[in-house]
Amino acid sequence: MSELTLQFESSDDELPEEVAFDASKSVALKSVKDALDAAKREKNLLKEKRRKKQQLFQEQKKRKLLPQELLEEFDTKPQKQTDLSANKGIYKKVSTKPSHNNKVKEQETGTMPKKTPKSLPVSYRVMRIKDESAAKTLQQRATDFVQSRLYGPGTKRTTNAELLSLKKKRGASQGAAVEFANKKLGACKKARIKRSNKRFIRQQKLIPF
Amino acid sequence: MMSTDLRSAMGEFKVHRVRFFDYMPSGIRALAFNQDTERMAVARMDGSVEVFHCSDRFFQEKIIPGREQCGIEGLSWVGERLFSAGLNGGITEYDLTNQKVKYTIDAYGGPIWTITGNQQGTHLAVGCEDGTVKLFEVNEDQIQFERNLDRQKSRIISLSWHPSGSKIAAGMMDMIQVFNVETGHSIHRMLADRGAGTSRSKECVVWSVVYLSDGTIITGDSVGMVKLWDDQTGTLIKSHNVTKCDVLALSVSQNEDSLVAGTSEGIVVQFQFVSMVLEKDDKEWVRTRTFRNHTHDIRAVAEITTAVVSGGMDAQLVVRPLLDKIEVRSAASALRKIHFPHRRLVSCARKSGLMLFQYPGHLELWRLGESEGKGTPGSSLFVKRNPEKLLQLKVKGEDHIRCSAVSPCGGWIVYSTASTLRLYRLHCDNNNISITKISKLPKVLSSANQLCFSSDSSHLFSASAQSSVHIASLSQSGCKFVGTLKPKSGSHQAIHLLAASEDGKWLASANSDHEVHIYNLQTQKAHCTVPVYSSAVTAMGIHPATNCLFMMHADQQMFEYSIEQKQYTDWSRTVQRKGLHRFWVERDTPCLNVMFNPQNPSHVILHDMYMLCIIDQSLPLPDDKTQFYNQLTLKSLTEEQRKSQSHAFKVCKTFKDILCVELMPDQSLVVVERPLEDIATQLPAPIKQKKFAT
Repeated sequence: MSELTLQFESSDDELPEEVAFDASKSVALKSVKDALDAAKREKNLLKEKRRKKQQLFQEQKKRKLLPQELLEEFDTKPQKQTDLSANKGIYKKVSTKPSHNNKVKEQETGTMPKKTPKSLPVSYRVMRIKDESAAKTLQQRATDFVQSRLYGPGTKRTTNAELLSLKKKRGASQGAAVEFANKKLGACKKARIKRSNKRFIRQQKLIPF
Repeated sequence: MMSTDLRSAMGEFKVHRVRFFDYMPSGIRALAFNQDTERMAVARMDGSVEVFHCSDRFFQEKIIPGREQCGIEGLSWVGERLFSAGLNGGITEYDLTNQKVKYTIDAYGGPIWTITGNQQGTHLAVGCEDGTVKLFEVNEDQIQFERNLDRQKSRIISLSWHPSGSKIAAGMMDMIQVFNVETGHSIHRMLADRGAGTSRSKECVVWSVVYLSDGTIITGDSVGMVKLWDDQTGTLIKSHNVTKCDVLALSVSQNEDSLVAGTSEGIVVQFQFVSMVLEKDDKEWVRTRTFRNHTHDIRAVAEITTAVVSGGMDAQLVVRPLLDKIEVRSAASALRKIHFPHRRLVSCARKSGLMLFQYPGHLELWRLGESEGKGTPGSSLFVKRNPEKLLQLKVKGEDHIRCSAVSPCGGWIVYSTASTLRLYRLHCDNNNISITKISKLPKVLSSANQLCFSSDSSHLFSASAQSSVHIASLSQSGCKFVGTLKPKSGSHQAIHLLAASEDGKWLASANSDHEVHIYNLQTQKAHCTVPVYSSAVTAMGIHPATNCLFMMHADQQMFEYSIEQKQYTDWSRTVQRKGLHRFWVERDTPCLNVMFNPQNPSHVILHDMYMLCIIDQSLPLPDDKTQFYNQLTLKSLTEEQRKSQSHAFKVCKTFKDILCVELMPDQSLVVVERPLEDIATQLPAPIKQKKFAT
């Protein structure tokens, strides 16, 4: 029993290990350094992420802007006409597209001489996009609702060909199913199947040359 | 296309059987019956509205063409005025005199699912997508928005006024609400059960609701149940399981003792308010009859006094008489199915062998083929040249075509929609076709109810407002307005038929008030008026030699009126005195075309949907005892016997589902058929039904 106790309680009875002061100091310093490193790493990671996001936004903004040629055209036009107000507008950095256009337009309409307005071709109409599409989608959504309730998933629908074929099967003068009797029915589908069959046979070289 | 040789006692004809007119009727979406005038209004999926006269053999009196993206959902009569509402969010009133849309106002509630008028005729209620029930006051010339009832969370699919006008029941998603009209608040909220099985995950749509005067509310929903609710307690009284798919339409009779329900499977179920025990007073709603007359979904039912009218996605209007309400068995008490419109959709340029087919959104011009050789009667001839499609003319804009015509020489094509009229000049060499639009048209030619060319193609007759006809002359330089023909007196109803004489002297017009006016084209004045007959004119034509106007009516009666002598002819009087044969009068489809044979002046050629008939005015008329359909019998008799046995009506039943028959100058007949089976293959999908032994 004493040996057993010795084995189990060896960790408690033994003298504590001798650890040098330097070793423990280095361990402590190391752990502090690790913590600092981890914090720094985290910060850097976040910084990277932020930088990448900023880059992405810049690129998107650039894409949103008009192509360079159009911008140059806008730049040159007011330059030709006036010197005063032109300086203010053009050399300002192109930040967002709509405001820039508006500014240029204001200058154009204010300072340029009246040009003959270009009229739209006769068959064109001007309408607000929001009015038109909102109403249409409501009607489309309503139609889709009815379609899905009557013909959508969950409804047990069959084809007209099957309905007619069943009628023929139980009718007074029994005949073949409509797909076979009526040549017009599914003519394009039959043609497609025929072509794909031919292709298959050619591919598989089922018929020797 | 086939060419057959048809030889019989009526003469030898080469027949062009034309099956390339792919006419597709549009499904029926709503029905509305007007008790006082006995008219049935029918709304179709393409937005067109038709008015049938129920007591005149269900003749299609008026047609108001539809337009693209219409989405019509409901119809309602208010007195003699007709209103409709649809998914485009607007309420439309129709001008039934001129057969067009009067005005459309936006209800500003989104798509409208239902419209119904109260019994007092003062208000219209519409159920909108945004969950509001909007009340409109019906004024003399307009409707005006009055107020909204309390707004609900789900869309309003169906509405029904209580006969007193004080309450209104609304069928919505998963529930039924009863509103007090005066306060606008909801009195009761009844929840519809979603049923068992797969339908539990979908909302239950209450497709239709009916409010009875004793407070019972009857609903049909998407689970296939017809439920009866009590409006005092707001609870369910009884529920009947009618079908496993949806119950789409309900209609109650005028005296509230019979209810019909239309389902997705195509069956119509009748419930009657009877007492279970004889001579006891406790009545209840009991399911009585089942009618299986449709193959596809039934979207609308209506119960009129003596019959049940139903219509749905198979595009046929079925009138099923209720035999317990009918005292006398007559032609009016037979099952009636209306497939084709009662207007001509095909016009023919006789001199150049061209046919013009009218579709809702475009016109097609075809040239007939040629055959060679002779054959035995009933055989098919060899086709030397196939018929070919020369032209497809699409309509600009969203309106559908109302009427169209091609001139007899084949040089002019004209069509009219509700808002415009367009005239085209056609040049047709052997292989080249060129078409030019005539841009400068006289201002009066803005829209026509019916169009007709004169026999020498020099003039165009256009029937327009107030029962008047505008005449325009056609020449190389274009189209010039010549004059207007106005009737001396009478109604302002729209004209639906025009007939010009061969010699260019006379023009006859028939309007929806059964008035037939004859005009003298040389003086441009009214010549005479045919005495008004009780039934509408379905077809008329002027004989090239005798200038007699031959008219066919919806009740299958025929009259012949001599224009020059301003009275009925002797033959016509004999027909009236003797009466027509029973089989002729009992036919259930109207004759749509009257033609004459220049080589046989005593022949009149008529057709309806199932038969082609040549009336020989020189032969005796059949009486009730004679065999009517005697063509086959006559073939087997000798020459002598044939002469004694034959009578005036020679009927040929070889062709089925006929849309139009025309006689060409070379004595060949053109029969345009549209087999109902071909239409059936292109309809929307039907419900799968399990039948025994399949």
